[in-house]
Amino acid sequence: MTGFLLRRLGGAVFVLLALSVVVYLVFYAAPGNVAQIVCGERCSPAQVAQVHDRLQLGDPIYVQYWHFLQGLFAGRDFSSGVGVVHCDAPCLGLSYRQDSPVTDILVNKLPVTGSLVIGAFVLWILLGVGTGLLSAWKRGGAIERTLTGLTLIGFSTPVFVIGLVLIIVFCSTLGWLPFPQYTPFSDNPEQWFWGLLLPWISLALIESAKYARLVRSSMLETLAEDHVRTFRAYGLTERAIVGKHALRGAVAPVIALSALDAGSMFGGAVLTESLFGIQGIGKLLVDSVRQVDLPVVVGVVMTTGFFVVLANAVADALYAMADRRVVLQ
Amino acid sequence: MRQMSGNVARAAAIAVVLAVGAVACGPDDSGAKNAGGSSDGKPQKGGTLSVLNNEPQTDFDPARLYTSGGGNVPSLVFRTLTTRNREAGAEGTKVVPDLATDTGKPNADATVWTYTLKDGLKYEDGSPITTADIKYGIERSFAAELSGGAPYLRDWLVGGDKYEGPYKDGGKGLASIETPDAKTIVFHLNKPEGEFPYLATQTQFAPVPKAKDTGTKYESHPVSSGPYKVVKNENDGEHLVLERNPNWSEATDAERKAYPDSIDVRSGLDASVINQRLSASQGPDSAAVTTDTNLGPAELAKVGGDKALAGRVGTGHFGYTNYIAFNPKVKPFDDPKVRQAIAYAVDRSSAVNAVGGSSLAEPATTFLPNQKAFGYTEFDHFPAGASGNAAKAKELLKEAGHADGLTVTLTHSNAKGGPKGPEVATALQDALKKAGITVKLQGLEANDYNETIQSVSKEPGFFLRGWGADWPSGGPFLAPIFDGRQIVKDGANFNTGLLDDPSVNKEVDEINKLTDLAAAAPRWGALDKKIGEQAVVVPLFHPVYKRLVGKDIKNVVISDWTGVLDISQVAVK
Amino acid sequence: MSEALLASQAGAAQVAAPASGARQFWRRLRAQRAVTVAAVVFALLVFVALAAPLLTALEGQDPNAFHPALVDSAAGGVPKGSFGGISGDHWLGVEPQTGRDLFARLVYGARVSLGVAFIATLVQVFIGVSLGLLAALGGRWADQVISRFTDVVVALPLLVIGLGLIAIVPDSVPRPVLITAVIAVVGWSGTSKIVRSSALSLKSLDYVSAARLSGWGRLAVARRELLPALAAPVITYGVLLVPANVSIEAALSFLGVGIKPPTPSWGQMLTDANTWYQSAPTYLLLPAGFLFVTVLSLTVVGEGVRTALDPRAASRLKVGVKSRKDAKSRKEASK
Repeated sequence: MTGFLLRRLGGAVFVLLALSVVVYLVFYAAPGNVAQIVCGERCSPAQVAQVHDRLQLGDPIYVQYWHFLQGLFAGRDFSSGVGVVHCDAPCLGLSYRQDSPVTDILVNKLPVTGSLVIGAFVLWILLGVGTGLLSAWKRGGAIERTLTGLTLIGFSTPVFVIGLVLIIVFCSTLGWLPFPQYTPFSDNPEQWFWGLLLPWISLALIESAKYARLVRSSMLETLAEDHVRTFRAYGLTERAIVGKHALRGAVAPVIALSALDAGSMFGGAVLTESLFGIQGIGKLLVDSVRQVDLPVVVGVVMTTGFFVVLANAVADALYAMADRRVVLQ
Repeated sequence: MRQMSGNVARAAAIAVVLAVGAVACGPDDSGAKNAGGSSDGKPQKGGTLSVLNNEPQTDFDPARLYTSGGGNVPSLVFRTLTTRNREAGAEGTKVVPDLATDTGKPNADATVWTYTLKDGLKYEDGSPITTADIKYGIERSFAAELSGGAPYLRDWLVGGDKYEGPYKDGGKGLASIETPDAKTIVFHLNKPEGEFPYLATQTQFAPVPKAKDTGTKYESHPVSSGPYKVVKNENDGEHLVLERNPNWSEATDAERKAYPDSIDVRSGLDASVINQRLSASQGPDSAAVTTDTNLGPAELAKVGGDKALAGRVGTGHFGYTNYIAFNPKVKPFDDPKVRQAIAYAVDRSSAVNAVGGSSLAEPATTFLPNQKAFGYTEFDHFPAGASGNAAKAKELLKEAGHADGLTVTLTHSNAKGGPKGPEVATALQDALKKAGITVKLQGLEANDYNETIQSVSKEPGFFLRGWGADWPSGGPFLAPIFDGRQIVKDGANFNTGLLDDPSVNKEVDEINKLTDLAAAAPRWGALDKKIGEQAVVVPLFHPVYKRLVGKDIKNVVISDWTGVLDISQVAVK
Repeated sequence: MSEALLASQAGAAQVAAPASGARQFWRRLRAQRAVTVAAVVFALLVFVALAAPLLTALEGQDPNAFHPALVDSAAGGVPKGSFGGISGDHWLGVEPQTGRDLFARLVYGARVSLGVAFIATLVQVFIGVSLGLLAALGGRWADQVISRFTDVVVALPLLVIGLGLIAIVPDSVPRPVLITAVIAVVGWSGTSKIVRSSALSLKSLDYVSAARLSGWGRLAVARRELLPALAAPVITYGVLLVPANVSIEAALSFLGVGIKPPTPSWGQMLTDANTWYQSAPTYLLLPAGFLFVTVLSLTVVGEGVRTALDPRAASRLKVGVKSRKDAKSRKEASK
């Protein structure tokens, strides 16, 4: 187990550093004069040159990257004009556009995306596992067909279409729900819940088709195994078999896959966040890419990378715990 | 002037979201009066106004904001020497005093401007506002840390081109701004500028107390001189909460009504969601407005069929022109006949449709916006009718030696739904095909697009462009685009036609000497007409703004200066 | 992604022996009626895409020609007439704002969307299988390097990859090719993980070990023993990739790095149409419906292929059916 953790940790550090290098290279090659964009379009060449110096954009890319690494492990200082902004390690730099430390920006955004992912996670498990169970147990029933159809519609329709239709139907036309808006859980749990319900449903609709298929196939597999036949022979009811034994076989892969999806959703819910005006990590990524705000982009990519790697390790560990045949590597 | 690309628009307080609009009514009939659903009863003080916006109010620092007339939300917090007249329609294009007692006293040749402050002006903490703070506020805007504002102070003030701001000047300050006493401030310009009072409406003219300056952090809590103070600024303008400033005195401010007790500005919302919320008007959204989001084409179709909703739409005109730009250094656009042929071939009705139809854009044949304040003079040098004159275009092409047709490349932005985006480009492509011109499209990512078209060395021959008003006058509209001395060879250039015509340059200087703005306006119009003959640009359309308000909103005032409702006039009770 | 998991999702865990003969596969595939229907539907879609020029010629419309007269400019450009302007000339109505023919754009859009999705899937499968096999057979170091490389690709946001490639690749490369490349780069990791874990477990099986012991090279083992056995999980998973790739194309379009105008694609149509849900519903429903039918038919076909490839599936299904009957009879007996 210790060996597994150490190897995974080493792998994580490698992956995060590799991600930062890739982002640096992509932005180095990408068009867009950063100093001009930060300074404003009507800046004179002299003013642009000043901003260029201030942001240390004149340094070769490897020197810029070296400064980035220094900040990461030792912290950095930046000028605010009248004073000094100190950025403690691990410092991901100062946003070109917002002039505040990238770590502060990320810390503000994490609870937002975290709320989005947690709620969506619960819903897609309910919807996906429920649909999967029904389709393995009562194949061909009306409820099963409706749910399967729903999850397939979710799978095949882009989120900006589903989301807008949900808003128009439930908020504008029926008026059952308030328009989505993020309220911190600590401010008002009730508003937090109602404000995020539609984004959760949209994400759950998209994700649950996969889970329905996963649950269905692993249940069918378990139902065909010898010990289940034995149970049947002993006269256990089908409900007991499905509920107690077959479901147990499906739990492990569901946990593992959902950990992975939740991990990648930290940076992957860009479209959902934009549509619903939820100002999380995904929206931050799109905005900072458009503004060529390199320190923020690197910060976001490393954060999402961290969650992907973490989820990967958690998933493998959970899977190994649930299924003794798998050996942790 | 500013052109509305993402970043500038963001900085611009009156962020005009790229979705454009146009209406068939003339500029004197701006929809201000008929908007405001429940205009029964007089507006009352009190309540909370919500502002639902798409673009965040970033860089809420008076040095960094790029505004026309001081902006909408910024103008609630920052008072300036002068400001825009808060009246509906054409009256609203006038400049009026704000902190100062008048709009400025020029010397004989308009190179020295003197202002005197009103009595009893205070900051939110009760301390008095002095001219030294106004001087300091302007000096800050020269600092590289606080860049983003308009270029005029740098270009007009004596020594402005060399000054690097108060953090680097060793306490010497900018000598061309004098403050002989706490009430008087004098500006020394390097050339006559009759439009200086317009410039003094921008937020750089707001006072900043030196002791409270925190550099790049100032934006999180700038010291208010206006009717509201900032109590919350989350994540660089994503969520702003403003509350009444008890030290603001209504007696010193003839322009801002300040009815609501507090104002809650939320941004980062999807445009279609903003319009859904305003039309549903549920709960707090009934007291909501937007300052940056138009009704989209799809929503217009819906509003048209709903009388109650239509009554809540405010229509406005902001001085803006979208056009085709040519680079005459690139073949075949060096040949005026080719440029003219394209001018004849354009189908303005399909270009207008591409940005939302005749309710959201008006076809344009002049570069100046169709408002009197700009000196609008009607002309149509290359009449294309509503949908293009392909026959005349073919004739000109034949004369130019392209009888067998012509293949050209049109460069546009990849930003979807915008007036410089793929929709307008494909509409033009279809129209020019009828005149035998094959158009290849070159779409560039937004930043790449701006960098390319603003660089003299990389500038393509044929591309889409837009230009908007820093203030409602011909000067900032024509000079950056057509004055040969404004060609920037090693930076962002806006004179895309690379026009350097001594007679044009001379006329610009002559008009700038006039301090009688009413006399200057028609001369800008005449200059526009003269430049138009060269066909270095082909005007396409002027946007029209159509914006919903919540059902409890009263006193909607939309001026032709901003084209959007003025938050300082809105009441929720 | 976790390989053990993906493998189980795609049914790789059951790959115990090489697939039995192709004839048996087809027999089992045809035995499932839903699969036949879905396959026919899907073949129709492919036909529509291939025959786009023919079909539009039949209708007499060009996908890129504007018809300003057919839209109401003052009302935002909503199509005149009912059901989005459906008429004898315009079978499915016209696009708002431009008046372009929707039928023509849909069938041409099928070319781009299905073409991009298919080719991207093939590339994804090729890269995935190669890297997966390399990781499984190439020794510990190759495995580590490839696995960590896969993590990096999984963690890189689509937008960054898209912008990066568009910035680096010259403008002369056709956009559909570029989009295909972006999608391929984003989506091969799942396949590679499935292949790796399946190959690892296959390696230890008796007949593979036997082949190795009898002196076959690694390449020969991979080609003659592993590849046939991997067909089932790879095909099953690959079928799921096609609809996912159509969605990615839509997302790229939404983010402004998609197919270039005026070329139509379903993704682009969906993006443009989303606000028209109320005033011109057909504009949204048509591409959404086509995409849904594509996904549905491919999912059913994929399920069928998997069932046909998995030797135990048939008996399992039978067990399920029979056992229900058993339960019923038991219930009756207990009354």
